[in-house]
Amino acid sequence: MIWQIAFKEIYHNLTTLRFALILIVLPVLFVANSFIYSFGGYGYTAQVDTYNQQVTQNRNHIGDYANKGLAELALVGPGEIPKLPNPLTFCADGADKLIPRSVKMQNVGMLGRAGYDEFEGYQWRPPWILEYPLQNKSGSVVQRIKVDWVFIGILMGFFAILFTFDAIAGERARGTLSLMMSNTVSRGQVLLGKYLGAFVTLMVPLIISILINLLIIHLSGNIPFAPEHWLRILGMVGLFALLVSIFTFLGLFFSSRVSNAITSLVWLLLTWVFLAFVFPSLLGTFVGNLNPIPSVDEVLRQQYAQLGQLYDEYRPFDGSGDIPSKLSKAASAEDPEATRLWAAFFTKEVETKTRFADGHIDQQFRQVLLARDLTQISPIATFQYAMEGLANTGIVGYMNFVKQARRYRQTFIDFIKTEDQGDSESLHIYPVKEGLSQSPVDPDAVPVFGEQISYWSVLTQVMFLVLFNLLFFIIAQISFLKSDLK
Amino acid sequence: MSTLWLVIQREFVSNVLTARFMIGFMVCLLSTAVAVFVQVDDYEKRLASYNAAVREAEPETQEWDLYYNIRPQAHRKPNPLGIFNVGAENFGANTVTIELAKPVFELTFPIGDEPAQKRGSDNPFLAMFLTIDVVFIFKIVLSALAILFAFNAVSGEREDGTLKLVLSNAIPRDMIVLGKYLGGMLSLFPIVLISLIVALVIALSSPVTAFDGNHISHVVLIFAVSLLYVSTWYLLGLLLSIWTKTPATTLILSMFVWVMLTIVHSNMATIVVEKFPPYQSKPEAAFVQSAADVWDQFRKERDTYVKQRGYESLKDSISWELGTRSEKTNRFLTFYSYGIDGLYLIEGYILRDIDKADTSIFQEILGYQEPLRIAYADKVEEILNKPAEERERNAKFADALSRISFADVYHFAVGAIAGTDRQSYNNFIQDSRAYKRRIVEYLKDKNAFTSRTWFSNDQGAADLTDLPVFQDRQLSLSESLSRAYIDIFILLAWNIALFMSAYVSFLRYNLG
Repeated sequence: MIWQIAFKEIYHNLTTLRFALILIVLPVLFVANSFIYSFGGYGYTAQVDTYNQQVTQNRNHIGDYANKGLAELALVGPGEIPKLPNPLTFCADGADKLIPRSVKMQNVGMLGRAGYDEFEGYQWRPPWILEYPLQNKSGSVVQRIKVDWVFIGILMGFFAILFTFDAIAGERARGTLSLMMSNTVSRGQVLLGKYLGAFVTLMVPLIISILINLLIIHLSGNIPFAPEHWLRILGMVGLFALLVSIFTFLGLFFSSRVSNAITSLVWLLLTWVFLAFVFPSLLGTFVGNLNPIPSVDEVLRQQYAQLGQLYDEYRPFDGSGDIPSKLSKAASAEDPEATRLWAAFFTKEVETKTRFADGHIDQQFRQVLLARDLTQISPIATFQYAMEGLANTGIVGYMNFVKQARRYRQTFIDFIKTEDQGDSESLHIYPVKEGLSQSPVDPDAVPVFGEQISYWSVLTQVMFLVLFNLLFFIIAQISFLKSDLK
Repeated sequence: MSTLWLVIQREFVSNVLTARFMIGFMVCLLSTAVAVFVQVDDYEKRLASYNAAVREAEPETQEWDLYYNIRPQAHRKPNPLGIFNVGAENFGANTVTIELAKPVFELTFPIGDEPAQKRGSDNPFLAMFLTIDVVFIFKIVLSALAILFAFNAVSGEREDGTLKLVLSNAIPRDMIVLGKYLGGMLSLFPIVLISLIVALVIALSSPVTAFDGNHISHVVLIFAVSLLYVSTWYLLGLLLSIWTKTPATTLILSMFVWVMLTIVHSNMATIVVEKFPPYQSKPEAAFVQSAADVWDQFRKERDTYVKQRGYESLKDSISWELGTRSEKTNRFLTFYSYGIDGLYLIEGYILRDIDKADTSIFQEILGYQEPLRIAYADKVEEILNKPAEERERNAKFADALSRISFADVYHFAVGAIAGTDRQSYNNFIQDSRAYKRRIVEYLKDKNAFTSRTWFSNDQGAADLTDLPVFQDRQLSLSESLSRAYIDIFILLAWNIALFMSAYVSFLRYNLG
């Protein structure tokens, strides 16, 4: 019986103007999306080229310094670590332009001092730290919504509304509702039939358009997919289905709740605008004020103040005056005492810089995550985050990258220390050049950075979307059961 | 006249009594209020960081004692009208540090120590959330309401059969169209008015927003443009209502048009231009290379001049008291910073035992060299500005494409009126360049380049009490109008065109 109603609905829908319009709009949007992302500038191919260049550069960098000796490599660091470009930005752009493409783990600069009297001249390389450069610092371009799959998903919510706003209110007005109910069908079956009818009519053009989109991208050859990508895309289609289903239920709810189709549409439209645009963005702006974090300048100031204290304590540049410098002797392999002092100084310096760099970006991440958690009240926002999660774009993709870069930082340091243990001539004092092994290392033995992608974070969002579905199904059901037929 | 009034009244009453009016009214009011709340908060934050930046710059000014190392700053003052339309307020640099040898430029890749920097920003990642302001709410919500009021004005009455009744009276058809338009607008008018008043009240209730008469007049202008915008949508709805047979068709059609014009079109235009930029010549790195060449030219020209004066190098131009010549090398120190890849060339001089030195010729040479350096910095600026100019041209192209939709025309108009659009940001950068020129003029007037105080304070510190201060300019109403008039004109043209089409279509309307 449900399917009978559903088929009736589908036949009816197929002949409507809205279906015709969707049939035009959806393919146009998806084709536009595929062209923009597979042929446009700064596309995936260009990103892969840059990435490969950076990887080669990085390998050369490690090779150069590994040959110069373990100590050199230990202080210069493993170089600039590029983030793997993502082929699936066309699905979820995730504010791609804001996301930095690499982190820095190298320091090529030298510092030095001229010696006099007791104060020995010395040149040193301050140890590297993990730095997080910002992408697009002075970009004056105002952030806009991108025409990615997520955006089309938002529009799908709108289309779902257009298919359901009068599903019950309209029949009620025409009087056909009481006719249908005079048959031996339960109300639940009618609702489900109508739901299936709308859902199928929406999903069919969507899936066709997606196939066209993928075909164009595939034929263009600019974005090659691995089998794993196809799986993720399949997951995204599932997310589309969940979102469309939510809005179909929502439409049925308002349609049965409100006597007049127009009133139902007004409610739905405003709900949609709220869920899609107003709500997520307002919370995004608001969280910055709700949970304020110090500005970049302030963090820098604090860092300078603490480093200043450190410099006052050790006085690496200044041996004159009443207070003698702790570092008046230069570090050397013959003087383990002085080398240890330098190591203490460097360790503290690295620790301070790392604390500020890591701390600040963690604060930023927490702020964004808080905003995201709050905005998940909107199913559209949840859908967006799930899409970004599957595509591994957006802030979560970057956070994964940062987490792995930090792990790699530790791996690299551990490697240096273990290698150093193998050299009996070394003083084993990290991180001073004179305290470490001077013999070259095999460049191939140096650990390389590899990025692994995890999709577990998506599960929460999928669960939320399923819950939204259940919730809206129940309220639609209740509201229809309680509604009047006339 | 009374018949027209009758039609207006009837339309007005039939609109106002509907549920959609009440819901629309409440939602518009609520979302405007929330948006203003958030934007006021945001503005307060911007203002606080601006004030902090100005405050911190003050003691720094006191420390300058030599002419060559003054670094005055131009701070971008947050615009209180950003509460209504945030526009580009949160984007781009807000502090430009003027250094005589450093061009003012903006490149997309970080070079370190940029002249134009963004201060007070705490989290660049929050920019991934779309910013919403009153104008955005109006752009989306008011347009939807206007459409929902208009869609059944004609086709609905036709379906109900009341249209025949109305037309069988002695009321001329043009009166009916005009009456329906005015009646619809009359019912939308209070929504726009009260939403804006509420917005204004919330904005004024914040202790930091100081609105003067000028700002209020801008808000009034924004109100007028918003009405014009709403009217465009109402007329479009009316036209569709005349063109289609049933209100259901009108509704679906107008909803599609609405979603396309307000949401899809502008995003599509922007991203297409971003991905397929019409103006694209060289990558930024190429410009940076030519900047380095210019600085090399400067060095050559400078060295030629020094040789022409008969000295091997700058330091030979200083004559020292006899008996100290052997230590000469230690007494003259040049330090320079040749910005990354040669973007700028700052040179400073430290002379030890300066009281034993006669620097008159050295000063003369500096009097030639420093203005030359500034002239070269201007040349470099011209080169380094090219990428930004290109970006601007592309953005303008995207804007032009966006203007196909009058929803974006409205957005641009309000941005221009409020002074928060990209143009205002570019003006700030221009103003900071003008400020630099004023500083140069000031130094010329003081003969600072040939003065000993350029590099040494042994004969007293530089007198910088009357150093020009950067003045932020505020747009007067007429200036705003002159910038927004094209967009206002386009909106007006749409109104006229839509009204004429609706009018003609309705006169030829076939009741059958």
